[in-house]
Amino acid sequence: MARLELNALTKRYGDFHAARDVSLDVPEGEFLVLLGPSGCGKTTTLRMIAGFVEPTAGSISIGGNDVTRLPPWKRNTGLVFQNYALFPHMTVAENVAFGLEMRKMSKAETAEKVRGALDLVQLGHLADRYPRQMSGGQQQRVALARALVFRPDVLLLDEPLSNLDAKLRHEVRIEIRALQQRLGITAVMVTHDQEEALTMSDRLVVMSEGQVRQVGTQRELYETPASRFVAGFVGRSSFLEGELRDGRLVTSGGLAIEVSKPIHGPVTAALRPERIAVSAEPPAEGTNVFPGTVELVSYMGGLIDLHVRLSPSDLVVAQVSNQGGTLPAMGDRVFASLGTPAVFPASDPHARGH
Amino acid sequence: MTDATANAPARTGLTAAALVGPATVVVALGVLGPLLLLAKYSVNKYDPYEFMISAFSPENYVQFFTDPFYLAAFWTTIRISILCTLVCIVLGFPLAYVLARTQSRFKNLMIIGVVVPLFVGNAVRAAGWMTLLGSRGFLSVSLENLGITSGSTEIMYSELAVILGIIAVNLPYMVLTLQSVIEGISRNLEEAAFSMGAGPWTMFRRVLWPMALPGVAAGTILTFILAMNAYATPVLLGGPEFHMMAPVIYDQFQLNNWPFSAAVAFILMASTLALTVAAGFATRQRFRA
Repeated sequence: MARLELNALTKRYGDFHAARDVSLDVPEGEFLVLLGPSGCGKTTTLRMIAGFVEPTAGSISIGGNDVTRLPPWKRNTGLVFQNYALFPHMTVAENVAFGLEMRKMSKAETAEKVRGALDLVQLGHLADRYPRQMSGGQQQRVALARALVFRPDVLLLDEPLSNLDAKLRHEVRIEIRALQQRLGITAVMVTHDQEEALTMSDRLVVMSEGQVRQVGTQRELYETPASRFVAGFVGRSSFLEGELRDGRLVTSGGLAIEVSKPIHGPVTAALRPERIAVSAEPPAEGTNVFPGTVELVSYMGGLIDLHVRLSPSDLVVAQVSNQGGTLPAMGDRVFASLGTPAVFPASDPHARGH
Repeated sequence: MTDATANAPARTGLTAAALVGPATVVVALGVLGPLLLLAKYSVNKYDPYEFMISAFSPENYVQFFTDPFYLAAFWTTIRISILCTLVCIVLGFPLAYVLARTQSRFKNLMIIGVVVPLFVGNAVRAAGWMTLLGSRGFLSVSLENLGITSGSTEIMYSELAVILGIIAVNLPYMVLTLQSVIEGISRNLEEAAFSMGAGPWTMFRRVLWPMALPGVAAGTILTFILAMNAYATPVLLGGPEFHMMAPVIYDQFQLNNWPFSAAVAFILMASTLALTVAAGFATRQRFRA
């Protein structure tokens, strides 16, 4: 349990930057999630923290100690892998005891801690099983107990839920988060699943092309994305492209949209689907109301996605709640109230907007 | 439709028979037949004029185990086979590990490099060793010219030469067997051990080695059997004074003493089998998984 600091961490393979100038400050007890598409550098960053990848430049410190040049076995980090990585030739109890044995703990104390750790993940009764006799969810909980039992300074999770089916994923997700909070342990998790990222983390780091694009809480990232890329990656957005003229974004389809903050040149507006209201009659009030045609209705139970075409080149996705009654159908003429969207320079997906 | 369903089990049985059949016939005719014949020969009696007289006598076996010459060949064979197999494990494991874990694009080339020696027959390879190790060979002359030794260094026609030769033949088998097994062990398991505080040696001892054990066992059986049955290498590199079992069998066969030759062959087979099973049993006892 300690504070983790990354200072301008860089990993270069020839001309390719797997990670570039990654600086993060993770206070003690925080759950930080690295989120990004594959190849964005999140896994490289995690592996540098664990000590499996040597940084080209920059430094890592855990609890105020510089560990940049320490081998993995001297770093006191707990690691949970996507494929569980339990030792198949050892029982569950032996797996969990491994880290304690390495720390030369007495037999009696080891047995007690192993029991405690397994009880923590509710698997105390399976201590003598072999990993292959357990389900994926159970195996990942054993892996979690194994990584936590020796009280690591930092818990590192590398896509820990990706191998589990949807229901288990939900269970284990809650379990990991609850344990992390209960033990007050500093944790860094890598994922490409934004729902996972949004529900588990204290703070999120969005990465792409080896660089940190934005750091913030779920809410900050969702409400005020720093760039078009983040707006598209965290939550869903519809994008409308155009030129800014007289404080309005004019699309090639002829829509003139009022925006929050005018910027120059070609711009992109990002619209969250649940912020778009759809009605059969023109609403009494509202900004940026445009008539359109429903192109696709995607029924998801409590929520319904409506793809509304506003012009031959402008399409938005609106998410409306299912209140019963008649549902919009394909081909219906409707009115979409867009609200006031955030805008970003269109030229560079990583340029700061608003 | 109903017909096809009803016939399905019968057809599966036929398919299985078709798949297993040819190999079974070849094994039955080509291996079991001669083996039974040999078993009978080994209890026959040898006669200088008649060559072989049908009998049922343990005479050949008794002769083998009471003659110091044959016993010496027997123990030499076992000793050299165990030694060569151990050396193959020690040299082969690191090599196999590197081959299994390398990310290099030359990986296939490296594997071919390991296999290439197998393209050359044992006899030709042994001839190569002869020019390398002989009294006027490359090694001897080099050592002499470098001033490390005075006079010629004779490694040919010695146990050392035979050991070197057998290791060179057997190492690729060990490396290839181990490599495929190590490739099947997730790198994450090693990393998990490291993250929990195990250094490289502890990780090897506690994780990699026990998990690679099935491969070590397979490689050991393979190289041990090859060493026990080595023929060309001991004959060509060991010289006339050096005796291992396979050449002894052939010599007896040449002397037309088929019964004794058959008995020696059976002793070699049985001892190879017994030692292999014993080794397998010992490892299973130690590393119950």
